Amino acid sequence: MIHPTLTAYLVVSALLFGLGFFGVLLRKNTLIIYLCLELMLVASMVALVAFSRFNGTLDGDVFVFFVLTIAAAEVAVGLALIVALFRRRHTVQVEELNFLKH
Amino acid sequence: MNPDYALLAQALLPEIALVVGALLVLGLDLAIFRRQEPAARYRLVMNFGAMAVTVALIFACSTGFSGPVFGDVLFFDTLALITRQGVLMLTLFTFGIACDARRLRHPAEYVAVILFAATGLILMAAAQQLLLAFLALELASISLYVLAGFDKSRPESAEAALKYFLIGGMAAAFLLFGFSLLYGLTGSLILPQIGMMLMPQGPSPLLLIALVMVLVAFGFKTAAAPFHLWAPDAYQGAPTPSAALIASASKLAGLVFFYRLLWPGLGMSAGDAARLPFTIGWVPVVALLSGASLLLGNIAALAQTNIRRLLAYSAIAHAGAMLLGVIAAGASGPAPLFYYAFTYAIAAIGAFGVIALVENAGRCENLADLAGLHRRSPLLAGCLLVFILSLAGIPPLAGFFGKFVIFAAALKLNGLGGPAGWLAVAAILLSAVALYYYLLILKQALVVRTDGPIRRITVPPAATATLLTAAGLLVLFGLFPSVLLGLFQ
Repeated sequence: MIHPTLTAYLVVSALLFGLGFFGVLLRKNTLIIYLCLELMLVASMVALVAFSRFNGTLDGDVFVFFVLTIAAAEVAVGLALIVALFRRRHTVQVEELNFLKH
Repeated sequence: MNPDYALLAQALLPEIALVVGALLVLGLDLAIFRRQEPAARYRLVMNFGAMAVTVALIFACSTGFSGPVFGDVLFFDTLALITRQGVLMLTLFTFGIACDARRLRHPAEYVAVILFAATGLILMAAAQQLLLAFLALELASISLYVLAGFDKSRPESAEAALKYFLIGGMAAAFLLFGFSLLYGLTGSLILPQIGMMLMPQGPSPLLLIALVMVLVAFGFKTAAAPFHLWAPDAYQGAPTPSAALIASASKLAGLVFFYRLLWPGLGMSAGDAARLPFTIGWVPVVALLSGASLLLGNIAALAQTNIRRLLAYSAIAHAGAMLLGVIAAGASGPAPLFYYAFTYAIAAIGAFGVIALVENAGRCENLADLAGLHRRSPLLAGCLLVFILSLAGIPPLAGFFGKFVIFAAALKLNGLGGPAGWLAVAAILLSAVALYYYLLILKQALVVRTDGPIRRITVPPAATATLLTAAGLLVLFGLFPSVLLGLFQ
């Protein structure tokens, strides 16, 4: 059985992070943007777990537990904001969020 | 490691007071306060919140505890202790200016979230370990997103909060990725150890990526260009006390946190911006952010007619000067940076306080809404004069001396021989531009006369005390800067 190297994990992590980042930049639907944000967090977690495994310390794994909790809190607040906005404006598209002038 | 919980509890008394206060206010509101009239309920809840912060402030001032706590997770040095007192004072001011009862349907939750935000901010300033730093940062950030979107009656509030949230969430993801790379490179989460492990390694591509990631998050937290886009929207749309907290305490704690991360943690990969050619590191990038913020903030502020957006762009310009302070902090210590950030925060919260009170009596969107303020309320006009002149950097107010120490520290690095010195000169020249838009505000408030009857503004006693204290502190720190700077010696 072949064990993947640290580099392989990091490449996956960087790819996920890049996907998430470009999703945030390019997509127009707030919910999808929000999903991409979570993807960026998950990418960081992959890197943390991989480093933890290859460094031989548990710090990275513990970090991931806390980050998962934070991500859940962010979901709660983020979705609440999207719902609050939808109730007022009946849209979740970013290009229509233009009450505040530039 | 044998964790000493008694010591931890003793060192964290102010944080404990804040969290207990937040839980109590929620419980008491459920049991007692909600049966009162809305106005009485609002007053009770606000007083309770202010009391919790006062207790925390007394603990913070009385326990002279310093040193590492709980392994090396937290470290209370002078900077952490003073930042804690500063942030608590700014939170107290936030309660002082929160007087608009009509807009908040859930005052107890509002107070509790402010207290949680303050807890996150003061832990952030003392955190020495990446995990706790990230947790504290997110506790503060998530609370601030909620505060920005708290006013559900206005669509602007939700929009501002969502923009703040999306950009803030992205910055948090960048910071986390940077942290994971730092952990991978060094095998440690504790800042001084990371610094020691990185010393022999030299700049590797992974370290450079980690630095870029951390700097993106830094730029967002301080609202430096080109990561400033959330600031004008958040300042304009958020309820005024929330905007005041975001503009003042969040900025102060963020700067202290990133100072800790960049100098004690990543100091060896700083590079050099004081002389040409650049050596690779984060300092040249921060210099670039600083220059961009100074230029963009000051020029864009000229075109603003909305007073909050004007304050937001002026905040971006001030962020440029603070970044210059971060660059200079490696040689001169954090004292000039802290002085500048703290006095800026007091002036900003004061200016937002005046806006909140004018808004309480009517409308305060555009500069023209301030017209005739000197006749409507001489107190507010006088306080606004102090705050705005301090922001503009007019002696003898604290804003002037803050600019002076930062620019002196930046010029001390290498005179005019490199970009740091040039930035200081550019910042001095741009202060003249800034004076123009600050005087536009004062012209409306102090000179312009309005026709028709004068609608006087009544200022509640708590708000009067807050504004007078803030203005008094600015004069005091301006006349006797050593009161603040001497604490660092």
